[in-house]
Amino acid sequence: MEPVKVDEIIDKYPAQSSVLIQLLLDIQGEFSWIPREAIQCVSERLNIPLSQIYRVASFYKAMSLTPRGRHVVNVCLGTACHVRGATRIIDKVEDSLGIKTGETTEDMQFTLQRVNCLGCCALGPVMLVDKDYHGKMTPAKVAAVLKDYD
Amino acid sequence: MGDITLTINDAPVTGQDGMTILEVARENGVDIPTMCYLKELSPIGACRLCVVEVEGSRNLVGSCHTPITEGMVIQTHSPRVVTARRMVVELMMANHPDNCLVCDAANQCELRQVAADLDVGLPSFKLKKHYYPIEDISPYLVRDLGKCILCQRCIRACDEIAKQKVFNLAYRGFDCKVIVDLDQPVDKEVCRDCDVCVSVCPTVALRKPKKQGEEKKGPPLILSQ
Ligand code: SF4
Ligand code: SF4
Ligand code: FES
Ligand code: FES
Repeated sequence: MEPVKVDEIIDKYPAQSSVLIQLLLDIQGEFSWIPREAIQCVSERLNIPLSQIYRVASFYKAMSLTPRGRHVVNVCLGTACHVRGATRIIDKVEDSLGIKTGETTEDMQFTLQRVNCLGCCALGPVMLVDKDYHGKMTPAKVAAVLKDYD
Repeated sequence: MGDITLTINDAPVTGQDGMTILEVARENGVDIPTMCYLKELSPIGACRLCVVEVEGSRNLVGSCHTPITEGMVIQTHSPRVVTARRMVVELMMANHPDNCLVCDAANQCELRQVAADLDVGLPSFKLKKHYYPIEDISPYLVRDLGKCILCQRCIRACDEIAKQKVFNLAYRGFDCKVIVDLDQPVDKEVCRDCDVCVSVCPTVALRKPKKQGEEKKGPPLILSQ
């Protein structure tokens, strides 16, 4: 993490606590996670207690307190996808990547997460990689989809 | 600041504008149990133990944070209310470590007290429990978060009375817990000569470290009274 980048992000906003969420989202966008050092910078510059920032960062799913891979794989386990066999998809992804849900591969290439409905149930089972939706998934298609992101 | 008239348990009572249901009830000798509420702290309505039935309201309302209004009709101990309160306490007990028998706080524990008062008995279901390591590196404060019931009294007391902001709430759902800094064990110099949070904690999730040779507590309170 480069502290300069964090300072740049903080400089974009007025130094007041109401900008905290936007600021954290920007930091998340820049590093794809929120490093402890970044929280420290924000705390010092905005004069907000560390624990208050940590509270916000730990609450929102959009923010991550652990490093995430270059690509984030979200497998939908919402009701519609679930009944169409989404659990087999997520099992297959876990197997292919060699990680459990919520974890990141050692080479920092992939992070695997589960979500509960992506809002396109008709396409189920759905798997979202970064911003690409892959609908009508089958376990057999998993390897091919992941290969595109290697 | 006008007088407001309302009815609590079929008796007409009056209160001032801005008072909460709980304050009026207590002033009139009606005892509503509370947990997260302390009159010295700002009310947050976190625990739901203080719920009452208000005519015209679909849900039970938290009396510790709901202001009175003209003509309110309130039941503080109707069967529906008592059932809800019991369930609240039963849920707290169900994911509390079941070592009351050897717990330091047994005689002073507010959770145990309220469970006894409401006849809760043993929880009828098992919930996942929290296993947190005891935080005892600070010379001034020991935290045993396994016993924390998330009443948030310590957070508010440290902020509002001690004027520090040592604690905060973090994470969500089952993982929700009271944290210090970046979720680190408590070890703060500001806690020297302060025991504000210890004094408000209803369980022994927060306590002062024991001194060598003082481990024995003497006879149970009930005998020494
Ligand atoms: S001992 Fe005082 S300063 Fe330290 S956490 Fe408790 S209330 Fe806050
Ligand atoms: S540590 Fe004690 S006072 Fe603080 S939230 Fe937990 S039970 Fe309440
Ligand atoms: S349940 Fe998967 S997209 Fe709705
Ligand atoms: S005492 Fe009212 S909600 Fe906790």
